[in-house]
Amino acid sequence: MSETPQGALIGQLERELAYYRRECNDLGARLLRLQEEQSQTFREARRSRTVAKLIREAYRLADGDWTPQEIGVPMLEMIIENALCDGAALLHEEAGGERFRVTHAIGAGTEITGHRVAIPSPPEFFFTTARTPIEPPAYELTGILRLPYVLWAYDRPTGHALILGSRSESNVSRPFEPGDQELIEGALSVYIDIMLRKQAELDLRSAKAAAERASAARARFLATLTHELRSPLNAILGFAEMMAPESRYNPSLEDRGRYSALILDAAQYLLKLADGLLDYSHLEQALPSLAPEWLPAGQVLASTVALGAGEGQVRGVEIRLGLVEPALELCIDPVRFRQVLHNLIGNAVKFSPDGAAVEVSLARAEDGGATVTVRDNGVGMRPEDIPRALEPFQQLDQQAARSLGGAGLGLPIAKRLLEAHGGELLLDSAPGHGTTAMIRLPAERVRERPQD
Amino acid sequence: MISVSYAKHSDPAVAVRLCAAGLAQAAPQLLLAFCGGKHDPLAARAALREVFGPVPVFGGSAAGAIGRAGFGYSGFELGLIAFHDPAVTPQAVVTRDLLRDEHAAGAGLGAEVAGIAGEGDVVLLLFDSVAVTAPLRLHPASAIVDGFHAGFGARPLCLLGGGLLTDMNLSGGWVFDGEAVVKHAAVALVFPPALQAETAVMHGCRPVSAFMEITRIEGAEVYELDGRPALTVIERMLGLPLGGAKGHELTLCATLGEKQGDPFAPYDENAYVNRLILRANPETGSVTLFEKDFARGTRVQIMSRDNSLMLDSVRRGVQEINRVVAGTAPLLGLYIDCAGRGSARSGAPVEEAALVRDGLDPAVPFLGFYSGVEVAPFAQGRSRPLDWTGVLTVLRRRG
Repeated sequence: MSETPQGALIGQLERELAYYRRECNDLGARLLRLQEEQSQTFREARRSRTVAKLIREAYRLADGDWTPQEIGVPMLEMIIENALCDGAALLHEEAGGERFRVTHAIGAGTEITGHRVAIPSPPEFFFTTARTPIEPPAYELTGILRLPYVLWAYDRPTGHALILGSRSESNVSRPFEPGDQELIEGALSVYIDIMLRKQAELDLRSAKAAAERASAARARFLATLTHELRSPLNAILGFAEMMAPESRYNPSLEDRGRYSALILDAAQYLLKLADGLLDYSHLEQALPSLAPEWLPAGQVLASTVALGAGEGQVRGVEIRLGLVEPALELCIDPVRFRQVLHNLIGNAVKFSPDGAAVEVSLARAEDGGATVTVRDNGVGMRPEDIPRALEPFQQLDQQAARSLGGAGLGLPIAKRLLEAHGGELLLDSAPGHGTTAMIRLPAERVRERPQD
Repeated sequence: MISVSYAKHSDPAVAVRLCAAGLAQAAPQLLLAFCGGKHDPLAARAALREVFGPVPVFGGSAAGAIGRAGFGYSGFELGLIAFHDPAVTPQAVVTRDLLRDEHAAGAGLGAEVAGIAGEGDVVLLLFDSVAVTAPLRLHPASAIVDGFHAGFGARPLCLLGGGLLTDMNLSGGWVFDGEAVVKHAAVALVFPPALQAETAVMHGCRPVSAFMEITRIEGAEVYELDGRPALTVIERMLGLPLGGAKGHELTLCATLGEKQGDPFAPYDENAYVNRLILRANPETGSVTLFEKDFARGTRVQIMSRDNSLMLDSVRRGVQEINRVVAGTAPLLGLYIDCAGRGSARSGAPVEEAALVRDGLDPAVPFLGFYSGVEVAPFAQGRSRPLDWTGVLTVLRRRG
């Protein structure tokens, strides 16, 4: 053996060093794996807790002062924060099925809010990974947020759906998996639950407000009715008494003729009042059942204007009808819509001075709907009085009401009838400058006449 | 005076309004904004302009923000630092040339800062971390910081900073450069000489291997350790193959660390410069690091993230900062926190940002953001880019 003791020592030290290096690396590797396993376990546990946390946090929305529409965005914020994805959206199925409207979207895909997407045979649960073939429904679902990895849940009974999306499957955005069904369906069901709850609250509030309005209207009705009924009844009774055979007045033939005319006027007024009350009472209880049909807009307007022209002539007020696109058609109940228009034209004529003109016109709206406008240059009213004018028995100027007639039911009836058409009645007015009444009809009630 | 505010909302305009309401005064001279990466940057900038007027806004995207009122990394957070007083308001220097040459851009920035910064002044460096997304390439902080030092010169300087990200997945990043929203830009905010910074760097990695020598490296790409393919060495340590998507998961578990000073001195977390592994490349047997400041011959160790060590480090660091600033009048506590330390990614049982927020003296106005890389003075020497760290700085007037 040529090895010196020093060489042997060095050799032993080298072996010892190699041993310690090996042990260090082995122990280090075990430590690394343990550390990673621990982290992995915690990340898994975190995902499990995510569902519970999400549901707990989401239910807090139920206590907030949100409308059903408003809870969508905060709900998505919570979902993104807990699920750590890149984008999320809520969708609602449209009538007929297989088409969804994106009601809310945040993160990647914010711009798609309001968009409509077609999803034939929408699945109740679905997810995509790098291994998912791009074919239906993956093709449609990944197209919603324009993200390749999505997690989807759809609640068939309510038509609501929730989709989450990620750009990648690495790091914190791990691949979606079947176990995520609990997360996505949990989130969707909480959203639906809170939304329904909010909707019920809203309905309840709305019913309460309606009941309060009805109660106030009834109180007003009783007060007004007493007055409105007593005045013509007093006239009828008074003049009838004067003409009675045993009357001490013994009126002349000419007076009798005048009294008869006054009795007739009062009775006609009572009849008109009774008709209005019946109509309004019916509308207050339920939306009228309409019998809508597509009618040429120009023809409807022209016939109603012609009807009002007689009253206009009596009062010296001209009614002008603007140009209406010949091909334009409205889907309306012909009787009810004409009633509305007639009311508005009648009001415009009634409050216009002698020699004035009332303009009736129709214009297409940007949203595809249409606006019928009745404009007068009459007495007008203060903007703050407009809401009152739309309530029953609210003659703003009692003196004018006496001289011009009317029980203050025309505008409320018109408003209810338009609401039944899915439209609305808007008033714009200023004292001394006249009033503009606008009938807005939604896009689905307006079209160009189809070509034969 | 410096005030801070934090808010979270998916609408950037609402987030800005909420933040504005939380600030002490309405009209700051300069704003530093850290904006969650899911916000549309242009909408966020427009909202800031609408609420605060023509005040210069610096900062940019953040994977998340940390405030006294809350923290998170959903991408909808917004953190604002408002400087109301010229005596504490920094001057800004900007470069938009990172894409062309990070080192040269850093050098230009450093040279310009040299013209306005005195010895020992505090400079906050912010830049967007992601250069290109497909394939992913970062703006290496090491090149920017080396360039900065080269341009600035040998004078001592307290350089702090962070890389700006939109999210933890390194999807992007952008910068508020005072006026607009830009990419490939770096901002240096030079604080007045009357201010000084106390900084604690919190770590969380422990060596799990013997020393190994980098025997082949090109830029940030480490090909060989001790003459063997780097990926094989790391795979053997982890006991699993790292091909495909798993290559990205390396970022979650291991780093390469270079020990400074005596290599055989007892373990000291402050002695290590850690480099995160961006991805594994099975075709070449290499791993790509976040930075390219290691060289052939650098002796490194494989480091394991250790969550309990990370949390202990945070507790110690916060305690130390509280001790140092006790009895003074701190102006601002700024926490630049590696996004990977968030528990969603690290797997830590406790959010370490919460430990900082709750542990730091409540009298200190505090705001933080989740970053891609951190820059801080290292081992009493020049500042270096650091990975997997939390850098807590408290600004105060010089005593």
